Amino acid sequence: MAETQQMKKSKTPSKGTPRAKQRISSDHLIAPQTPQSATPAAINLRRSHRLSAATPESHPVLSTCDTPQSVTRTTKNLKNPTSILPTTISITPASPQPTESRRKRKFQEKSVASAERKKDLTSGKCRRADNKVKQKVYYKKVVYDSGEFSAGHDVYVKKRSDASSDDEDPEVEECRVCFKPAGRRVMIECDDCLNGFHLKCLSPPLRAVPEGDWMCNYCVAKKNGEMVEFAEPPAGKKRARTAREKLLSSDLWAARIESLWKEVDGTYWFRARWYIIPEETAVGRQPHNLRRELYRTNDFADVEMESIIRHCSVMSPKDFANAGSEGDDVFICEYEYDIQWHNFRRIAEIDNNEDDGERVDDDDDDDDNDWSSCDEFDSDSKEDVVYEHEKKTRLSHASLLHPVAANSRKGRIFGLQKIGAKKIPEHLRCHKQTDLEKAKSKLLLATLPKSLPCRDREMDEITTFIKGAICDEQCLGRCLYVHGVPGTGKTMSVLAVMRNLKSEVDAGSIRPYCFVEINGLKLASPENIYSVIYEGLTGHRVGWKKALNFLNARFSNENKCGKDTRPCILLIDELDLLVTRNQAVLYNILDWPTKPNSKLIVIGIANTMDLPEKLLPRISSRMGIQRLCFGPYNYQQLQEIISSRLKGIDAFEKVAIEFASRKVAAVSGDARRALEICRRAAEVADYRAKKTALSGSDASGKVVAGMADVEAAIKEMFQAPHIQVIRSSCKLSKIFLAAMVYELYKTGMGETTFEKLAMAVSCFCANNGETFPGYDMLLKVGCKLGECRLLLCEAGTRHKLQKLQLNYPNDDVTFALKDSKDLPWLAKYI
Amino acid sequence: MGVENLAELAKLIIRSRIADPSFVFSFFSQLPDSNYSKLKYIISSSVTEACNNSVLLLGPRGCGKTAVLELVLEDLLKEHPDMISVVKLNGLLHSDNNCALKEIARQVCLEHQLQFSKMASFDENTQFLLSILRECGLAHKTIVFVLEEFDLFTEGKQRLLYSLLDALQSVSSQAVVVGVSCRLDADQLLEKRVRSRFSHRKLLFLPSSSEDFQRLVEHILLLPMDSRLPNDFRAAFNEKLLNILADEEFKGVIDQLCYSDSTVSQLLRFLFCAVCHMDLSSGSLSIENFKSALPSIQRQPKLEALKDCSVLELYLLVCMKRLEVKELESCNFNSIMKEYKSIHDSFKTSDYYARNVCLRAFEHLLQRGLISFQDNRGQGQSAEFRPVKLLISWHELQQGLKSHRSCPAILNKLMDREG
Repeated sequence: MAETQQMKKSKTPSKGTPRAKQRISSDHLIAPQTPQSATPAAINLRRSHRLSAATPESHPVLSTCDTPQSVTRTTKNLKNPTSILPTTISITPASPQPTESRRKRKFQEKSVASAERKKDLTSGKCRRADNKVKQKVYYKKVVYDSGEFSAGHDVYVKKRSDASSDDEDPEVEECRVCFKPAGRRVMIECDDCLNGFHLKCLSPPLRAVPEGDWMCNYCVAKKNGEMVEFAEPPAGKKRARTAREKLLSSDLWAARIESLWKEVDGTYWFRARWYIIPEETAVGRQPHNLRRELYRTNDFADVEMESIIRHCSVMSPKDFANAGSEGDDVFICEYEYDIQWHNFRRIAEIDNNEDDGERVDDDDDDDDNDWSSCDEFDSDSKEDVVYEHEKKTRLSHASLLHPVAANSRKGRIFGLQKIGAKKIPEHLRCHKQTDLEKAKSKLLLATLPKSLPCRDREMDEITTFIKGAICDEQCLGRCLYVHGVPGTGKTMSVLAVMRNLKSEVDAGSIRPYCFVEINGLKLASPENIYSVIYEGLTGHRVGWKKALNFLNARFSNENKCGKDTRPCILLIDELDLLVTRNQAVLYNILDWPTKPNSKLIVIGIANTMDLPEKLLPRISSRMGIQRLCFGPYNYQQLQEIISSRLKGIDAFEKVAIEFASRKVAAVSGDARRALEICRRAAEVADYRAKKTALSGSDASGKVVAGMADVEAAIKEMFQAPHIQVIRSSCKLSKIFLAAMVYELYKTGMGETTFEKLAMAVSCFCANNGETFPGYDMLLKVGCKLGECRLLLCEAGTRHKLQKLQLNYPNDDVTFALKDSKDLPWLAKYI
Repeated sequence: MGVENLAELAKLIIRSRIADPSFVFSFFSQLPDSNYSKLKYIISSSVTEACNNSVLLLGPRGCGKTAVLELVLEDLLKEHPDMISVVKLNGLLHSDNNCALKEIARQVCLEHQLQFSKMASFDENTQFLLSILRECGLAHKTIVFVLEEFDLFTEGKQRLLYSLLDALQSVSSQAVVVGVSCRLDADQLLEKRVRSRFSHRKLLFLPSSSEDFQRLVEHILLLPMDSRLPNDFRAAFNEKLLNILADEEFKGVIDQLCYSDSTVSQLLRFLFCAVCHMDLSSGSLSIENFKSALPSIQRQPKLEALKDCSVLELYLLVCMKRLEVKELESCNFNSIMKEYKSIHDSFKTSDYYARNVCLRAFEHLLQRGLISFQDNRGQGQSAEFRPVKLLISWHELQQGLKSHRSCPAILNKLMDREG
């Protein structure tokens, strides 16, 4: 068993290659915003800087800093690259002296202005430092112990502040064979036990880090059921445990910094959101848990900065898969663990990207604070958070007195935490996606494509419209009507434009605006739109009449007293649903933009081209000026849309995609439809593949969705099933339908009555040796056909007088009945 | 235990099987490429691969759409415990958006032990639906919305369908919408924008073929090994039954049954009747049981109603028939009475009744549904003056007269002359 093996492990689907063990500093988290940060001169060597063998040390650090001081610091660190200094520093627990020379801190105070702007971001925790002396001072970033910490960073936290002085240096990992640190040589990490090995120390030695997962000999042997002893460390030297090992054996904690502040007495504290390791959850470690997996909890605590050890980095699986060599302190976190209910929830992807994350974070803060920190809010809330605060206290009172229903507005945040998987289902991790499955998930309507092909012109037009409207000082009468058949990307394009603009706002090139999105079909009544708009603008919720008054005041106010002078963009989807009898709602909404100083921009989306013309002239004159038409996609565009989604996945024949897009383009040009057809085709192919795999026949290799699958999908989607139903129906209904066709043909009329039909049926039966079952039975059969809508018929109580009509063309019925095996004689009548 | 007790027990077992749709349709789930496996694939792929789907189950009534769906859901709940929640709506009850959303909220709250408020508004319930979809998506839980009588949800603005299907397009949800309808054109009823969001998976449920029927009958009627019945009784019962099933006569009965209606529910009703007719003393089913069950489920209500008519009522019916043949525009009680009188005058029949007796008979015919008012106008008018129509045809009347026990010969003669 002395061979190095390369094994495929299904446990880590997200990981491509084993990481070479490299040490780099993990405080490469980006960008101090205020450039005047002066780092302390005294450089703390309490912990040796992490060393990298393979990568030059400097790059992440350099990239972070605008501050020359920190550069010097890093260079100093670089000067002793091989010194793995077990410099032991006894950490005095909770020592409040900030004057201590070894720990000088530099704080970057948030500017008041930015605090103002970000008040909703950090849920009102920012305080002005100069307000009062006896108050907490909140910071955005703290440089503490030679590390920069800011909200959002992940750190190791000591479990007990007095459990001091591990002799070993926790940052540098040693080779498991020779017990020497990495030094200049490359180390490889076993994917199972996470131990590190020098490439040279392995037997046989490896030249380079192999692709794919790698397991060390020990783990391979263990898997085979052998007992293996790890090499004993040389006498007198205790094996050093790294922080990662300690964390995973729950001797350390990891936490995410939510906010940082200085207490009145000068100590520095932070609010920690704990991570926990799988062993600490209620279900314990599950077989599919990754070695480096952590769970984010909804458990918060205030911790002194003192107990922070250093940075670690906790990543989403996607980042983790991309992370090449971030060192040992990398963890993967995909789920949030609810400590009250002991359940798991995926962390929404949207949390990660910063611009959209605010809203979500707000929500999180809401419920967390309800649980744990109402008192804190009571003590230091200020006028800028009065509303929030009031809401919270009300909520917490309500929750104390009587449980709040989950579906009422007040109680929305209550109880939803309960929904969560008790266990993370195994199949999500252990299953390796085939190409077809990947294709299926890519083709889902819900997956947002990275790029939106074929709508560049329209998007440009929308962008210029909005930009023109925003940048215009007056923005008078701006209104855009977007129309096009369903599935041509109207809403998606507008939203994509808004996303782009948002990033431009963040970059500072456009002034901020507010954006309210409304869907006409999701309103309970057209008038409700006022309260929705008002809520979107201010966050308050009032009845629609009141909201209308407020909005009227806001938009038509001549004297510019409004404090919120940002332009407002209103996106109304399914505009046609707002048409009431006197069309007052539409008139109001479209009238506001024409008022001076309203700064309102309305984008209406609907399907019909001539909606403005159908409206009253006073409305169409306000709306119909600027229009944008989204034409149906042609087949090349559809093809491009589909193949852009399927890039890099080999699951479809090219002709199949072309066939599907041509078919859809010929009918409707609906991109949703085209995607659905392809997804269905992939499903059909996948179903077939799984069935052959089940039946155990020869593995015919890859199954690719081809023409036949697309054909089947199209058939299912477009073809009405009546022919099949007619063919498989009982004899009597076949005779019934044949008689119907016969009768209609004979009379040349569109409809017939049951009496006449019954005569025809009895005549058919008598001539061809079938028994005539009686009128009642025949009536029953007719009603059943009517229920399936093969026939259109009156209620059965009309009996003999019942009028009957065929719901499908005569030819279809004839075609279906022509060569029926059980009743060959039908052919001569039809 | 005597034979009777055993027979009673066997009857109980079979009847409980017939009444249990999941047992009956487990037969179809074994077939390869059945709707069961297709539907299961669609729903389970949504569970395991976190995608949204919407499916329509179409087919005539009685073909087991709901039963197969139930079976699939039951199996999936077993396979993935705690990961699927089912919300059931019925178009007959919840075609109103407001009430449907409320019902969704109620069922979800019940499922997850949340507090539910009846007072919540449409808006709040919509919000709740969205947030619950999001939460469930994050927790890898699938919500299956079952919409029975799907066609009835398509009335009005289709707000419910729109908001449901639109919510499925948001990133983090994981749900399946299953529509069940017997209208074959159900998907054509959707509004354009709703249809564009619908996934258009369609599963067609068809009446089964007669070979399947034969096997299904065996599947249901053969006594199982693991029952409490002694082995020799079971063996004898099964052997006798197999003999019957192989009989040509039995096949004839089944063919006759399938002739007018070949759905599974019809077969179940037939078997239930047959089993109820089982002779307890012999302890097994006989061919006679099946034969006698056939007419009891293929009823001819109009003919039976004719059989019970009094002679006077028959007279009235024949009069109406004669008037119809004369192609009078409309007839009411008075014109019928005139005709009745003329028959009486020309043939000197013995049955001549006073006008008020005739009126009573006329009302009776109305109640039996053998005749009806021509239209709904003139509700205030008394029954005598409102125009009426005969609901049974000449053939039925003739047949009814012939089979009537005390029909006067003159009536038959009159009818024959008309024909």
